[in-house]
Order: sequence, then structure tokens, then C-alpha cells
Amino acid sequence: MIHTLELRDIKKSFGDVDVIHGVDLAIEDGEFVVFVGPSGCGKSTLLRLIAGLEDPTSGDIMLKGERVNNTPASERGLSMVFQSYALYPHMTVRQNLSFGLENFRMSRAEIKRRVDGAADLLQIDQLMGRRPGQLSGGQRQRVAIGRAIVREPVVFLFDEPLSNLDAELRLQMRVEISNLHAELGNTMIYVTHDQIEAMTMADRIVVLKGGQIVQVGKPLDLYNNPKNKFVAGFIGAPQMNFLEGQMSGRRLSLGAGLLRDIPMAKDYDGKVTLGIRPEAIGVSLDGEGDMQIKVQNFEQLGSVTYIYGAFDNGERLTVQLAEQIPLERNQVIGVTLPTDKFHIFDGESEDALGLSA
Amino acid sequence: MAEGRLTTFLGRTAGNKDTAERFGIADFLAYGYLLFGVLIILVPVLWTLFSSVKPERAVDSFDTRILPIAQVETEVDGIGPKSEWIYTDDNGNQKRVFKAGPTRRETDVAPIDDPDAVIKVPRTQLTPSEEIRVATENYLDPLLKRNGQDTFTFGIYLFNSVFVTVAATLITLLINAMAAFALSKYRFRGRLTFTILIIATLLIPSSIILVSLFFVVWSFGIFGSLWGVIIPAAATPTGVFLLRQYMLTIPDELLEAARMDAASEWRIFWRIVMPLSLPALSVLAILSVIWRWNDFLWPLIVLISDPAKHTIQLGLTQYAGEFDSDFHYILAMTVVSLIPITLVFVWLQRFITTGIATTGLK
Amino acid sequence: MSLAGSMMFLLGVLWIGGGSIWLLAKRRYRFYQIPSFAMDLVGFPVEFAQSVWGRNGVPYALLLPNMVIFGLFTFAPMILNFYVSFTGGSSISLLDRPWVGWSQYAEIFDCESIFEPKSCTNAGFNFWTGMFNTLWFVVIQVPVLCIVALITALVVNKNIKGRGFWRAMFFYPVMLSPVVIANVWNWVLHRKGILNEAIGGSSDALTAMAGMTGFDIIATVLIGVLLMVISERALRAPDMPSLGWTVLFAGFLALITIWANPLSIIEMSGSPLLGLGLAGVLIWIVSNNYRFARFAVIAAGFVAAAMLVSIQFDAVFDFGRHRPVNWLVQPNTGWPFFWLVFVFTWSHMGFYMLILLAGLQAIPADLYEAAKMDATKPGRAFWRITLPLVMPTLTVVLVLSLIRSFQIFDEVYLLTGGGPGRETFMVVQNIYEVAFTSNNPDYGEGAAGSVLMAIVIAVFTFFQLWITRRQSEF
Ligand SMILES: Nc1ncnc2c1ncn2[C@@H]1O[C@H](COP(=O)(O)OP(=O)(O)O)[C@@H](O)[C@H]1O
Ligand SMILES: [Mg+2]
Repeated sequence: MIHTLELRDIKKSFGDVDVIHGVDLAIEDGEFVVFVGPSGCGKSTLLRLIAGLEDPTSGDIMLKGERVNNTPASERGLSMVFQSYALYPHMTVRQNLSFGLENFRMSRAEIKRRVDGAADLLQIDQLMGRRPGQLSGGQRQRVAIGRAIVREPVVFLFDEPLSNLDAELRLQMRVEISNLHAELGNTMIYVTHDQIEAMTMADRIVVLKGGQIVQVGKPLDLYNNPKNKFVAGFIGAPQMNFLEGQMSGRRLSLGAGLLRDIPMAKDYDGKVTLGIRPEAIGVSLDGEGDMQIKVQNFEQLGSVTYIYGAFDNGERLTVQLAEQIPLERNQVIGVTLPTDKFHIFDGESEDALGLSA
Repeated sequence: MAEGRLTTFLGRTAGNKDTAERFGIADFLAYGYLLFGVLIILVPVLWTLFSSVKPERAVDSFDTRILPIAQVETEVDGIGPKSEWIYTDDNGNQKRVFKAGPTRRETDVAPIDDPDAVIKVPRTQLTPSEEIRVATENYLDPLLKRNGQDTFTFGIYLFNSVFVTVAATLITLLINAMAAFALSKYRFRGRLTFTILIIATLLIPSSIILVSLFFVVWSFGIFGSLWGVIIPAAATPTGVFLLRQYMLTIPDELLEAARMDAASEWRIFWRIVMPLSLPALSVLAILSVIWRWNDFLWPLIVLISDPAKHTIQLGLTQYAGEFDSDFHYILAMTVVSLIPITLVFVWLQRFITTGIATTGLK
Repeated sequence: MSLAGSMMFLLGVLWIGGGSIWLLAKRRYRFYQIPSFAMDLVGFPVEFAQSVWGRNGVPYALLLPNMVIFGLFTFAPMILNFYVSFTGGSSISLLDRPWVGWSQYAEIFDCESIFEPKSCTNAGFNFWTGMFNTLWFVVIQVPVLCIVALITALVVNKNIKGRGFWRAMFFYPVMLSPVVIANVWNWVLHRKGILNEAIGGSSDALTAMAGMTGFDIIATVLIGVLLMVISERALRAPDMPSLGWTVLFAGFLALITIWANPLSIIEMSGSPLLGLGLAGVLIWIVSNNYRFARFAVIAAGFVAAAMLVSIQFDAVFDFGRHRPVNWLVQPNTGWPFFWLVFVFTWSHMGFYMLILLAGLQAIPADLYEAAKMDATKPGRAFWRITLPLVMPTLTVVLVLSLIRSFQIFDEVYLLTGGGPGRETFMVVQNIYEVAFTSNNPDYGEGAAGSVLMAIVIAVFTFFQLWITRRQSEF
């Protein structure tokens, strides 16, 4: 089968430093794929390898079934939106948009058609005569996207395009980029360190860590079935709670003081970490429940309430409730941990241990 | 009241009401220093300028009055043009006369309006009759080749100077920018070596290679031609260094965006890097113009034997050497050769000084 | 056709012809893209390199023209210099030049002592006279240039009105050519020129004034009052004396010391130096905020008052008749050398001022604000903040001005021609005359001189860099 983009065992090192340690990935036509991971994990590097701005140390990059390792960036038919936008400061918006097309020696009429089309789509028609310095952050963002659009690329590449915007604009542009994807139907690869962006925009998320892919999947798959502790902690806000414990056979004993039989797929002996999402936990104000925590802090947002508490052994627990309840600091409350919401991770490898569904 | 306001006004330096300080002793010393310095710089130049429009006789007699004052020449009927003098007799009456004989203690003079009435008068009672006259002939004689002044071929000198300056500056800008682009924006084997080589060149004074450069230029066959002056100095380490420092500040993402836009490397250089380096390029252009226009020793060696190849500087030196005592012409031609660069300076001064100050480094 | 001519021709054909064919074969250009084609043609070698070697080939292609010119016209001559210095004769053709080994150097070193050029042969005499004159010039010129440039930069960097104007004025002489500068100053410094005229006029006026009865008393009283006012202002602030007024006071102290000539009592000259020294020490003490600064100013005030009483002003201001000095020609006066330094400073100071100004402006303003919050006096701020932070720039200026002063030729050659006698004869002029002006040019000797000069410059530069590195280490 021919994929739009396929990476085969891509490795990249800068001098002695290995940055990408063998990445395999296939991306299909029209997909919106988000690379997500903490800063410095190699997302940008991977994107720039795809773009052709860097050469891989080894491995193959296939575009529509053709190996493009030796094809220069300009001939791969991709376009990229940079984090700093990289608009040419000495050119007007129109010149910025048409510069690339001129390089392809396109006819003037065609250039005008494409540029006007993109301007229309992004509602930047009034800005065409200005220079980047005279635009606001959001407008620059649009121009940068416009410059990518006019090329009518096979794949759009975005490198943290929203990180220079303020929170409100970021939300707005997020929606616009999603709409743009729906409208154009192109393949898009989007790099971000913000898991909310990833969850909201992606068809498929690629979680990277230390130059390796940790997990690939639909947003909710990652949320519900994280492959390991890293993904579980990275995806979802507030973060999943982790409690240290010991497993013998199918019996889990938590350091915080809980004994429970778990329906494991296999018996397991040894150290484990229990993961449970904040919203899966139930609360009773009168102290009833599986365990008790002391409330250290809480946030009442109206529709949600966040409770930050600690067990007697010092382990912390975050709880998210979809209701308003009266709370005080240092109050002791009871919490219920439903077994079917448990994630069990190996204490050594941190990989998820399967539960029998 | 008005007085008080005036003193406050005079006593304040720039700043708003709260931060303004009184005109203190430090300001006094500073302005004193500046004024003194500017006087030292301007007075000689202005003095040359004023002297250059004085008539020959005023220049030769080192007349130190500022204005160009010349003795009146009058056409005397039947005799011809004569210098006019004022004779004051013992009663204080004044009469316009001209000298009818050699100057002695008692000199023969005759009134202008009555050339035949020669009288003897004491020399001390004669004063020259003077007028203010701008001596344009100081300029026009050499420029128009009048009065035997045909060696100062200003047109040719100007052409040579402009040609050398413009050609050398264009070449310098282009090749230095190319080198700086390579050194600032590419990672390649030998980058450090090249950078060190260029910085080393920065410390090699040009005058220690005079003799052997002469051999090189001679064996290339460009000795005695303007190219012999243009080419050897075209690759300036200063230029490469200055441009490299500036280009380092251009974000790499811009170049990558251009690469994604399918621009070739040369096109990136031409369309992105060059326009963005304009501030540094113009500083280098100005420096290069100053260097080439004022260049003296190397053109002296390469071009001296052929007067048709002389630059303004060489022409002026030769001219001053030839007419050692014709100060009025020398001064006028000095002013002529000073004018182009002064005009450029007045026109671009703000730009030049801030440009050099912000881009730094020679 | 000359070597260069045929090379250029070949290159032109290859470049324009080959480039056009290659470009047109590879790319389609539309009619309106003719400018773009022209531009691609200029960069054809770079485009070509990119298409053959990919992006990795591009930097080498970009560096090529610059490196070729550097190689041919800077590095090759440097090496060639050594070769030429070992050859003799006056042939321009390198192959015709007989190998003479070290004899060019031997001729230059043919002295009883190189420190006494008179004991050398002709070649050695010229070279070593030039070398020692140049060294002497550099040793005076570099500090003068740097200090004047630094002071000017500091003043221009102050919050003064018309900054741009002042800055431009000080830079203006840099734009002027040496020929123009020489003509202008020749005119000013002529024996009957404006300078002698002005000095004559003012000395006559002062002499006349000194001849009036009672001048002595009036001058003493006036200067006494001035001194009191200035020292009061300097000491007005309760704690530390004001630096600005102290500078003014120090100026007067120097003048009074020079006039009173206290060293004449013990029959020594050098009172002017003593005066300037005292003034300098005073300024240094106050600018450093030493605890005894206040006491120093008061003490200096008493010293000044005592000296003031002893001065006979009618003698001080009686200059007699001024006899015009032939500034650039009179031998054994030191004036030609002085004016050389003066004119050189005049014409080059602006450039170094701008560089220093850039250095000063790069010092963040909040450092000074922080210092102000700590109640740091301006003088202390200069020594502790400005000077250390501007030191890197100052080093650059030092090195550049050193190299520049070593190469002095244009100004001397045009102003004094090396005279009077050999008083201002510089080493570059020696090289130039040996190799290019004589009927029997001795290129070998010129090259040998260049090599020696290069060695001296290298030693000086490294020495200077080493000193400044030592200073800026902490
Ligand atoms: N040109 C380079 N030279 C050396 N190291 C680099 C270079 N570019 C990136 N790196 C290193 O590679 C790692 C991944 O960088 P990057 O892909 O930019 O991370 P991010 O995921 O934050 O975008 C970082 O540790 C970075 O320091
Ligand atoms: Mg990144």
C-alpha cells in the first residue's frame, strides 16, 4: 500500500549527539497528524527531516511511495509554517505569498489567482500591501499559513505555529486551522508540545520522547489506553494520578493503604504504579470510601472542582468533580477508586500491564 | 518674571520637568570641549575655503582678512588698467590716484581722472583702494585650462576617481557579502579555517606587502591600469567580518522558509539575505567609498607614470608639486576635490555616523 | 594580451556564454523574468555548484571570489615578500632576479649599532632612522589618539543637545583625503599662515596689556577670586567634592603652577609637567572618591593661593614680539613631529570615536541606573562600570590604531616629505623610496625592509594584545 508519507527507521544525529533514534511512521492522505512531546524530544528535527531541511543520518523518507531522501526541500511539494513565522520582513504580504510561486516560474495570472484565493480564504485581503512589521501576531500567523497554502502542497508542515500567540488568539487559530483542514482536505503534520492542541486538532497523535515514538493513535485511544506511564501522564489535564504499589499475582497493595484484586490479563509480581485519572475518582465529604485524603488545596471553577489532596504517606492525589461541593483546607474526605478505571504500569519499564476487559 | 523663566530655560538640559537637571558644570565643560574641538576641525577647512576665493595677490601676500579683498583695477584713459590708490593729503582730502612711477619714499602718482597731472607724494600717504571681489579665476583657470593652467585635467581625474571608487565598491560589496553569507549561514568543513584566515588578514597591514604586491600586479598585467588599483583591495577582511557579524543576526528560519519556497541558494542570497543586510551593506559601501576615494599610496605606485590614469588625489598632488608657489590655484583645486566628499557627507552624515557606530568595527 | 586580460576574457566567455546556455537549458524563463535571469547569470557559479554538489557545494562557491583575491593579492604577496627580499637587482621579472641570500638584510644590519643609525651604511641608516621615527611616532600617537577618542566619545555620549551634529563634525575629517588634509594644514601652518598670525596677534595684545600699570595687582585679584569661587563650588556638596568643578579647579592649578614655576627655586625646569601632574593626581583622587578627596582639594587650594601671590603677572604675560615659526620646516624644534601627531589625530580620531561610541552605547543604561540607586558618583561609575565594560572595544581601537599608525605614510609624505632632515622620515616612506622612486629601484631591499617591519608590527600587536588580555581577564 502506498502511503502519503512514510518514515522508515529514520535516525538523525548532530555530530556525536543522537537526536532521533529510529522512527517508523506512515501517514495517510488527508490525515491531520500531530507530533507531540516535551521540549527537546526531537519533534522539530523530525519535521525538518520530512521537510528536507535536514538530511537523515540513516533511514528512508517516502513521499507517495517515492524515496525523497535526496530530493531538495523545494522539490518535495511540501510547505511549512514556522514557529517564528519566518515572514520575509522586507517584502509586503503579497510579495511574501508570491515569492515561492515565482521561484517555480509560474505565470503571473496563476500567481495572482492563487494568492488572491489564499488571501480570501484567510481574510487577509486588506493586508496585502503591508509588511510583516506592520501586522499583529494573529495576522502574521495567517500570512504564514497563507504562504503555505498558495503552494498547494501535498503535505502541510506546522512547527508550533501557535506558541507565539496569546491564549485567546491561540484558541481562535486552533479552530481556524482545524476548519482549514476540513476545507482543504490536505494532509497536515503539526508539531506542538501542548497536549490540548494535540487532543483537539489531531486525527492521529504521535507521542515522541527522547527521539523515539512512544505511541501513535487517535486522541481518545491515547487517553483511554496509554501504552505507558509517560503517555498516560502526558495526555490529559489535570495529569493522571500515579500511586506506588506492589503487585503479587493479581493482588494490588498500594503504599497509601489499599488492597484490591485486579482483573489482570496475566499474573504479575513486583513493583507497579497505579494510574487513575482525576475525574474517575469519587468523593464523599463524610470520609466514607476506599481511602481518605487530607485536602491541601482546591479550585472551584463552577462547572468543575479540583481537589488537591494527600494521603498519610505523602502521596498526592488530584480529583476532578463535575459538581460544586463545600470544602475547607485540611478537611479529611473519603475517595472511591473504581477498579475499572485503573491503569497498571510496570514499576521498572513503566509499560502498561494489560487488564482483562 | 520673564527673566526668571529665561534663566530656567537656559539652565535646563533635555528631559522632562522632573528629570531635567540644571545646566551644571559638567555640561559646561562638555559643551566647551565640543565647541573647542569643532573649531579646531572647522577653522582650517573654512580658512582654506575662504582663502581659495581670494585674488592671487591677496593669497601671495598672506592677507589674513577673511573676506576676499582685492585692490581696485581701473581703466585709465590712454594708459590701460592700473591699480587704484587713495592719496590722503595733509588736509585730510582724499583722491583716487594711480602710480605713475616706481614706488619710492616720494612716489609719482596721477589722479585717475587726470592722468597727466603727475605729482610727487610721500609713500606713507598712499593706501590701496580696495573692494571685495570673489576670485573665480582661481577655479576657472585650471578647470577651463585658461592662462596656461592646462595640467590639471579635472575631468579625467574625476572620471578615474569615480570609476575606481564605484567599481571597487560594487565588487567589494558583492564578493564580501557572498563570503560573509557562506561563513555565517552554512555549516561546512573548513568554515573555521576560512574565518580564521580572514581575521588574520584583518591584522596584515597593506603596506608590508607593497613591494611583492607590485610584482603580482605587474605580472598580471594590470600595473598602470585602473584595475590594478581596484582588484587587489576588493576583498576586504573588514567587509567580510562586518557583514558576517550582521548576517548572523538574520534568523535561519527565514532561509529555511525560502528553501521551502523553492528558492535556490543564490536566489536566497540575492532576494533575502542581501536586502536584509542593507544596513551593514551600506556601512561597508560608505567605508569602501571613503577608502577608495582617499586612497593614495597604492595608486601613487601603480598609476603615477600615466597622467591620464591619475585619480583626483594624484592629480592634486602632482599639481601642487608643479606649481609650488601658485597657492591660489592649489587652494582652489583642494576645495574642488574636497567638495564631492563633503556633499556626500552632508547629505548622508546622520546615516553614516549612526551606521558605523551601530555596525561597529573597522 | 596580458595574463590578467586573457584570463578575464576566458572567464567572461565561460561565465556569460556557458552560464546562459546552462541556465536556459535548465529553466524556463518568462519574458518578464529577464531581470531574474540576469541575476541568476551573475550567480551562475553558485547555481552550478548547487546543482552539481547540492547545498554542500554552495559555501565554497560563495567563498571562491573573495578567497581568490585574498590568495593572489594578500597571501601570495606575503610569501613572495620573503623571496623578493632574498633577490637583488632591479629587474621586475621575478625570474631575472639573482638570488643574493641574506645580503639585503646584511646591508640593513651593517651598523656598529642599529640604535645609532648614523653608524650604518646608507641602506641601514635610512631604514633604522625610519624605523625609530616610526616607533617613536607610534608610542606617542596611539595613546594620544585613544585618549582623545575616548574623551570625545564620552562627551558625545552624554545627554547633550545636537548629538548628531557633534558626532558628525568630529567624523568629518575622516572623510577627507590625505592630500586635501596636507594642503589645508600646509596652508594653515605656513610661516606667514593664519596660525602664526593669530599667535602673533594675541601675544602682542597680551604684551600690551601686561605693560599697563596695575595689571599685576588686577590679575592677581581676579584670578584669586576665580579660584575661590571655583574651589567653593567644588567643595559645596557636603560629602564628596564635585568632579566637574574639580576638573576646572585642576586646570587652574596647573596654569598657576606653570606660571609660578616653583621648581626654578631649586634651579630645575619642568614646572609645566609638575603642574599637569598635580592636576591629574587631583582629578584622579576625586574621581575615585577617596576619603581624603575633600582634604586634597582644600590643600591644593592653599598651595594654589601661595603660588598665586608669588606670580609676577606682568612678566608672565609679556611675550615680547612673536617671531613666526616655520612649523613644518624648522629643524631641531620638534614642531614638525608635533604637527604630524596633531594632524594625524585630527584626521583619524573621528573614526575611533565612533567605534568607542558604539561600545559605550552597548553598555546597558540600567547599569548606570542601578549605580545611581547605590549613590555611585559619576567618577566612580566611570572607573568601575564604563571603563571595564568598554575595555574590549578599547582593545580593538588600540590594535587598529597601532596598525594604522605603524603604516603612516600619506600624511608625512605630503606634509613634510620626511623632513626637516630626516626628522619625520618614516619606515614606509623608506620602503616606498627604495623600491619605487629611485632610478635604480632596489626591490629586494624594500622587501627586506617590509619583512622587518612586519616582524616589528607583529611583536607590538601581540605585546599589546597580551597586556590588554591580562587586564580584562577579571
Ligand atoms: N542543529 C543542531 N545541532 C545540534 N543539536 C541540535 C540541532 N538542532 C536540534 N538539536 C538538538 O536536538 C534535540 C531536539 O531538538 P528539537 O527537534 O528542536 O526539539 P523540539 O522537540 O523541542 O522541537 C535538542 O536536544 C537539540 O538541542
Ligand atoms: Mg521545536
